[in-house]
Amino acid sequence: MSKESHNLVNKENNDNANKEITLNHITKIEGHAKLDLSIKEGKITKCELSSVEGSRYFEGLVLGRQYFEAHEITSRICGICSSAHVIAAISAIEDALGYTPSKQTTELRKLLTIGERIRSHSTHLYFLALPDYLGYESALAMAPKYKSELKRALALVKAGNNIVRILSGRDLHPVSATVGGWLKLPTQEDLEQLKTELLNVKEEAVKTCELFFTLKCPDIETEGEWFSLKDHNEYALFGGEFCSSKSCFKRTDYKDFIKEYHEPRSTANFVVKSDHRYFVGALARFNNNHAQLSSDAKKLLEQSGIKLPSKNPFHNNIMQAIEIVHCIDHAIKICQELKIKNEPVDKVPLKAGRGVGCLEVPRGTLWHEYILDDKGVITYANIITPTAQNLLNMQEDIKTLVPAILNSKTKEDIVMDVEKLIRSYDPCFSCSAHFLEVNWEEK
Amino acid sequence: MVKAKTIIKNAPKIKPKVAFYGITGCAGCLLSVLFNEDEILDLIELIDLKAFPFIKEVNVEEKYDYVFIEGLVASKEDLEEVKRLRENATFVVSLGACACTGCIPAYRNFTLKENYEHLLYKKVEDLEDVQPTPVDMHIKVDHYIPGCPPNKKEILTFIRSVLRGKIPIPYSSPVCVECRQNGNECLLDVGKPCLGPITAGGCNSVCINGGLECWGCRGPSKDMNLELMIKILREKGFDDKFIQDRMRTFAGLKLPMLDEVIKHTKEKVGAKNE
Repeated sequence: MSKESHNLVNKENNDNANKEITLNHITKIEGHAKLDLSIKEGKITKCELSSVEGSRYFEGLVLGRQYFEAHEITSRICGICSSAHVIAAISAIEDALGYTPSKQTTELRKLLTIGERIRSHSTHLYFLALPDYLGYESALAMAPKYKSELKRALALVKAGNNIVRILSGRDLHPVSATVGGWLKLPTQEDLEQLKTELLNVKEEAVKTCELFFTLKCPDIETEGEWFSLKDHNEYALFGGEFCSSKSCFKRTDYKDFIKEYHEPRSTANFVVKSDHRYFVGALARFNNNHAQLSSDAKKLLEQSGIKLPSKNPFHNNIMQAIEIVHCIDHAIKICQELKIKNEPVDKVPLKAGRGVGCLEVPRGTLWHEYILDDKGVITYANIITPTAQNLLNMQEDIKTLVPAILNSKTKEDIVMDVEKLIRSYDPCFSCSAHFLEVNWEEK
Repeated sequence: MVKAKTIIKNAPKIKPKVAFYGITGCAGCLLSVLFNEDEILDLIELIDLKAFPFIKEVNVEEKYDYVFIEGLVASKEDLEEVKRLRENATFVVSLGACACTGCIPAYRNFTLKENYEHLLYKKVEDLEDVQPTPVDMHIKVDHYIPGCPPNKKEILTFIRSVLRGKIPIPYSSPVCVECRQNGNECLLDVGKPCLGPITAGGCNSVCINGGLECWGCRGPSKDMNLELMIKILREKGFDDKFIQDRMRTFAGLKLPMLDEVIKHTKEKVGAKNE
C-alpha cells in the first residue's frame, strides 16, 4: 500500500502552519540538489529548488576543440543519458556542416537512444521512485519482500544496456557513434540477438506498468504548459518541431522562445518559454504524441485509466512505465527492419556554420547548439538539458502541492510527498541526484 | 582487469562496511556499480552497505571499511565531503576517472578563462568553486579504479577480491597490450591520434574495439614514453595544440611534465633540422 492511502490523525498538524524545511541533499536523483521551503501561517513564503552540483562548464570546455571532439566531451555531462548527449552533439555538428546522415545511421542512432531510455526509465522507476511508494528507504531494502520486482528491474536495465553496448561498445559513454556515421557497425546477428532479448523481456515491461498503475499519487495539476517534439512520421525521437497543445516552434529558432536565466543560488540554469514555465518528459510526450504509440502501449494507457492530456506531474512515472513498452516495440521494429550495410564513416567537408541538435531523451527534450569556423573549430556552444527546463516547474509545483496537504499530513509525509514530486520529474542534476537530507526548523 | 594478491590469509568473517558516495560528476561510475545486473543483488548481501545516497534514503555516517568516491573536487562542499569521508574510512577508493585523474571537468585547468567565465552562473552564496581536481590531490587515496566509465566487471572484481581478503593491484601495462590481444587494427597506423601507448590498460581496449582511438581516460601508464608518443603524433600530422588538448582532456593534471616535454622535443627536432 502506498502511504497516500493512510488516514492517520496528525498530532503535529498545528505545527505545520509555521515551518522551515531545508532539504540539503535530495537523495535518489542523479546529481545534487537542495530545497529551501518556509511556511508561515499556513502559507509558503519561500520555495527555492537549486542545483548544488559543482560546476563543470562543459560549454566552455569544448571551445577551441575540433568538431569531431564535441560529443566525446559532452557525453560526460551525464552517465545515464550519455548517448543522448552524444547524439545531440553529433546532430548539431552535422547540422552546422550541412550534412544529412544516412538512413541506416539515423536508425542506429534511434535504436541507441531507445536502449538508453529503456535502462534509464527502468533504473529511475525501480531504484529511485518505487521505494517511496512502497514505504522503503531504498530498492535494496525492498529485496527480501520484492525480489522478483527487483529482478524484473534489472532484467529491463540489462535489456536497455545490451542495446547501448552492442551498438556503441559499452553501457555508458558510447564509443562507436561519430560525426558522419558509425565507427563500428553492429552485425545483422547482433540485431537478431537484441530482438530476441527484447521479445523475452517485454512481459517484464508490461508487469512494470501494472505495478505502477496500482500506486496512488496525489491529485494535483501543474500550471506549466507541456512541450515535446512532434513528428508526423512517428512517436517523436529526433524529428519534428517543438510543440505544446497550442503552438509549435522551429527548432533552429529555439533561442527566440526559450530563455535561460540564472538564479544566484543554483548551478543549473532555469529555463522559461516566453516568460512562462513549462515541462518536458514522458508526460509531455504522451500528451502530444500518444496517438503514435505502439498498439500494446496504447492498450496499457487505456488500462491505466489516465485521461490525456494530463497535467498531474505524478503521472510522469506512469507514462515512463508505458513508454518502456513502446520503446521495446520500436526497438524490435528497428532490429527487424534494418538490413545492415557496410557503410564507412563519411568524410564531411568542412565549412563555417551554426547547428542545432534537438532530440527527445529520457527526461525530455535536449538541446545542443554549436558554431564552427571554417577549420572545424568550435567557437560557440550552448546546451539546455531537460532538467533545466523542468526546474522552475518542479519548484512551482511544490508550491501547489504543499498547501493541499499541509493540514492533513504529518511533516514526514509532507516531505515524502515533496520528494516524490521532485522524483516524479526524474530530475538529473548531474546534467543538472543523490539525497534529501531533511532539516525541519520550527519557527 | 584487476589482479589481486593475498594479504590476509583468512578472509574476514564480518561483512565489510561499505559506502558509495558521489561528489561532482556524472553519476556514471555509481551507475556502473548498479549495472552489474546479474550480480548486484547477491553482492549487496555480502557487504554491509552503509551509504549509497544515489539509491538510498538512509545513509549512515560512521566508520567504514571501504569508501568508494565517484567524482572530482569542484566545490567547497566536495572538499569538505572528501575530508569527512577520509576521516571515516579505513580505505578510500577513487572510483572512475573524475576521482582518479579529474577527467574532463579538470581539463578546465588548461583552457582559457574567457572560455568559461561567461558561464560562471554559480556565484552561489554557500557554494564556492574550487580548482577542479582529483580526489588524491586533497586526501590520501588507497586504491584506484580508473576509467571513464570504469569497466563494471572491474568494480565487481575489486569488491570480490576485498571480500576474499585480497588487495587488488592495478593493471600496469598500456592499453596496447590488450588491444593487440584483441586483434584490433592499430589506429595510429591509420592516422588516428590514439593515446593507447601511454595510457594504463585494464579496460580491455574497449574504445578501440568499438572503433574509437584511446583518449587516455585511465591516466598515464607506468613507464610511458611521452616523448615518443608526441613524436609519433607529430609525424601523423597533428599539431602541438591538438596533441596537448587531447592528452589533457582526461588526465591533464597527471601529466605535469607535458609542457616541458613538448618544448624539449621541439628543440630536439629543431636542432636536427639545422
